[in-house]
Amino acid sequence: MEFFNSLLRWLVTAFAMTAVFSAHAGPMGFKGSAMTMGDFSPNWQEGWVNYAPSSRDAVGVGALAMRSDDKRLTRKLSELTYTRLLKRVNGEHSQANLWFVGGVGPVSGNDFSGSKTLWAPGISADYETTRVYVSGTLRLYRASGMNHDFASARAGFSFYEVDYEETQPWFIVEVRRMRGLSEGIEITPMLRLINKRYFVDLGVNNVKQGRVNFMYIF
Amino acid sequence: MFNISKTLSSPLKILCAAVVLSSTSGLMTAAAAAESAKATVNGMVCAFCAQGIEKRLSSLPATKAVFVDLRKKIVAVEAREGQSLDLAAIRHEITEAGYDVVKLETVAMSVEDLKAQTATKKPVRK
Repeated sequence: MEFFNSLLRWLVTAFAMTAVFSAHAGPMGFKGSAMTMGDFSPNWQEGWVNYAPSSRDAVGVGALAMRSDDKRLTRKLSELTYTRLLKRVNGEHSQANLWFVGGVGPVSGNDFSGSKTLWAPGISADYETTRVYVSGTLRLYRASGMNHDFASARAGFSFYEVDYEETQPWFIVEVRRMRGLSEGIEITPMLRLINKRYFVDLGVNNVKQGRVNFMYIF
Repeated sequence: MFNISKTLSSPLKILCAAVVLSSTSGLMTAAAAAESAKATVNGMVCAFCAQGIEKRLSSLPATKAVFVDLRKKIVAVEAREGQSLDLAAIRHEITEAGYDVVKLETVAMSVEDLKAQTATKKPVRK
């Protein structure tokens, strides 16, 4: 079992670092737009908003509250974020992206007093067609005496193609892990609904916790 | 002797010619008003992501309507009556939204015509 867990961890990390990642909702909108994102589950509540002054850059603010699986440790982070589209490849029927996402801000926790400055640089990549989606993210969450590095991978497919005005349903599975807070690997199958106005994921993870993600571009 | 048919024929011819010219000119005006820019765009795989194209093109002053077809990878922009489309600006806006324009042409069709055309060729859901 330990070997299996180690293998899974390695796969998640390797996938996040090297695999193709996706544009299904990249971490920023188009030039001149503001984008908001939320990710909510009992152990993870995250929200941010950013503005894209160019087609490749976005700056924003975000907040993240995390809790360990045993509910004993908590972290609260406020961050200024910078997102950079490092590379985009537009194919005839596909798109692939490589992103840099960086954040810095104060983090507090219930096992220490005051706050520390946390740095959170990361990369994310994605590949998608109208029927297939894969993505991965690797992000470091580091402060003095603290390491909550994070890795996630997602893959899925759409049930059918749709017109631009229609809502497209997808089945997505996400695997993620955060060092020092969750020693287990969270696996969440999700129903994804993509519309030109909104983007929503609804799922239940492997420990029966509900999960909601959304994105909206103004 | 007064020939009524001769007397009437000239004004009738003029009237007919005027009607024909008027209707032809009307048709030409309608055709000109229905001119659209049609772009083939790479990278359009998701409506949520492609909304940037629609929003940016809709904000151009000469834009009357925008049509996005994810299946055919087509973006069409119809001009307002009496205004002409700036193809360079359209290419620029699509590129700024994060996509690649591989073909851009002017077609004598409205956005509704293009919608109808792609709808009839729509493949069965698979």
